[in-house]
Amino acid sequence: MINVTDLTKTFGKNQVLKGITTTVERGEVVALIGPSGSGKSTFLRCLNMLETPTSGAITIDGTAITDPKTDIARVRQRIGMVFQHFHLFPHMTAIDNITFAPTQVKGMPLEEARKKAKELLARVGLSDKADSYPSRLSGGQKQRVAIARSLAMEPDIMLFDEPTSALDPEMVKEVLNVIRSLADSGMTMLIVTHEMKFAREAADTIYFLDDGKLVERTKPEQFFTKPQSERAARFLEQVL
Amino acid sequence: MNRKKLKVIYFSLIAFVVLFLAIGQALPLGANDSRTVSAASAADAPAEGQKKKLVMGTSADYPPYESVDAKNNGEIIGLDIDIAKYITSQLGYELEIANMDFNGLIAALQTGRVDFVMSAMSATDERRQNVDFSDFYYAARNTIVSKKSAPLESEESLAGKRVGAQLGSTQDLYAETIEGAELKKLNKIPDLIQELNSGRIDAAIVEDAVAVEMTNANPGLTMHFLPADSAENGYAIAFPKESALVSDFNGVLAEMAENGKLEEITQKWFSDEKEQSNRLLNIDFSVLQGYIPYLLKGVYVTLLFTLVSALFGLVWGTILSLFKISGIKPLEWFATAYTSVFRGTPLLVQLTIIYFATPQLFNYDIPALMAAGLAFGLNSAAYLSETIRGGILAVDKGQREAAIALGVPYRKMMIRIIFPQALRNILPALVNECVALLKESSLVSVIGVTDLMRRADVVRSIEFRSLEALLFIAAIYYVLVLILTSFARKLERRLRRSD
Repeated sequence: MINVTDLTKTFGKNQVLKGITTTVERGEVVALIGPSGSGKSTFLRCLNMLETPTSGAITIDGTAITDPKTDIARVRQRIGMVFQHFHLFPHMTAIDNITFAPTQVKGMPLEEARKKAKELLARVGLSDKADSYPSRLSGGQKQRVAIARSLAMEPDIMLFDEPTSALDPEMVKEVLNVIRSLADSGMTMLIVTHEMKFAREAADTIYFLDDGKLVERTKPEQFFTKPQSERAARFLEQVL
Repeated sequence: MNRKKLKVIYFSLIAFVVLFLAIGQALPLGANDSRTVSAASAADAPAEGQKKKLVMGTSADYPPYESVDAKNNGEIIGLDIDIAKYITSQLGYELEIANMDFNGLIAALQTGRVDFVMSAMSATDERRQNVDFSDFYYAARNTIVSKKSAPLESEESLAGKRVGAQLGSTQDLYAETIEGAELKKLNKIPDLIQELNSGRIDAAIVEDAVAVEMTNANPGLTMHFLPADSAENGYAIAFPKESALVSDFNGVLAEMAENGKLEEITQKWFSDEKEQSNRLLNIDFSVLQGYIPYLLKGVYVTLLFTLVSALFGLVWGTILSLFKISGIKPLEWFATAYTSVFRGTPLLVQLTIIYFATPQLFNYDIPALMAAGLAFGLNSAAYLSETIRGGILAVDKGQREAAIALGVPYRKMMIRIIFPQALRNILPALVNECVALLKESSLVSVIGVTDLMRRADVVRSIEFRSLEALLFIAAIYYVLVLILTSFARKLERRLRRSD
């Protein structure tokens, strides 16, 4: 369970998050929606401390990750993150990308890590690409390898930061399918996305952010049919 | 986060110290003159108190008095050596010879590294203030060497001419007294020959023995002896002040003059004339015959030196680049100041300071090769730290974030994720640095490391021919650079296989 209390983040003079308070239950799938610059990505990046919050508190399963005394690296091992631009390690093959963290961080034996990596590659439909370098993969394939890389650490929570925004349209589906199957398996997930159809189908909860505030937090059906705020209504008008 | 960074820095510092010590251990092997009879043992001999052994310091680049027998086994031979051998055997000592730079001989006497010095050294008043001299064993005459086509025969004829002399030599002092002459001071005898041949000077003042060799090797030159001037030019054996050896040596010298031994040795070295070859061409590579193996051994020294200083520079440069991006102010300041100083002063100056100042400041007699490796490594690190810093910063920020998000610790992230990618970015720059190091390594010859350049100098001083050895080693340097770059190209291809 993730508890966020009055979270703010300021870059220089620009306050990006203006006090966000919310709770994400175990197994809940949250889609974060909102205009660009609304603070969606910053919020997500605060959840694994890639951005240090200016004020406020975040606890994950009782651990206060905003506490400076917390060993944040340990917490991060339990939180997978998938980036818009994949960030695969270009000097390693697909399978080495996946086995790197389990072997180097958790000390898992290489044999075991490779076996697991192969299972993960099968799960994202890339069994034949194990020994390919990232430069030989398409955008969609790269993102699926990146998801497998995060899953290899067996996280409790997965964060997706616009996972399909950098993809050619024909590759969006293959990535969304992987994420959807992950959602169905009961993983706790937060997804920043512009794919409204996907959000509506896959998410349990929609967070609508605007101007650094969590404006709406509702079920998808209600959000997409009867948005409560005027800002959300206007946003939906523009994107649908 | 910060604690992690500190850990890395401690680790780096320890690595640096270990490396430093390792160099200290490894380098004396090839240090100084590998061709000397036993230069390495010179330093500990007096301390050990082995009474039966005397260490003699000499600068073996002055035939026929002392030179390296580069054509044979690299032993040091010459008139001074024969006299020293005779005297020490008469007195019941064993003789050890330590080859070093002429400028360092007096200091070596004063610090007790050698027991006496024989190196065609004139007993000047200045030197007498610091050391004691034996009686003269040879009196050299000043000699004018000039072109056969424009011979100069007397001191008066030198008025209005350009006259060359070896810097710091007795002839240099004499040349200053020649009226109306325009004086040009050069570092080496072969330089004088070259300047004569190319017409930049009209005459060179050298001593008789050197003049004989010069004219033998260069048929276009002629010599004229000047009348032997007082006792000022006499060669004598130098001892530390108050040394008890002086009277012993003087005794034997007197005997030798009496029984003709001195005359015999002198004759041996001066009558040993070279065959008059017909060197009509300006350049004649046959003079290198017999020296090739000796010169080629310099390749090993040059490569070893380049490798050590490149590795040292890379490691230390990496540490400095980490300092620069550490976000810890004092470390950043240190690294920036360091880079500024080492980039802002000439390498040759740094090298000379490290070699000559270390014994004075730290009381540690730093071996030449180690001083050179240190100077080049320190200097190259300054340049590399900027290159590496750029390489690290050029790695996509997302790589760092991806590693952090996976919970990878800082050190592993740097070593396994960031450096390999940075290395790929900066490989061409690193190769450039290595090529530069390889070529600049020729600077180390000034402190007596027997690299390629130094060996060429030795051959030049023996043969009294200037160009051939230089052209030969230039070709070797070029081939080495070609090999290095082709090797680097292979490495680059390997690193780029993931593209």
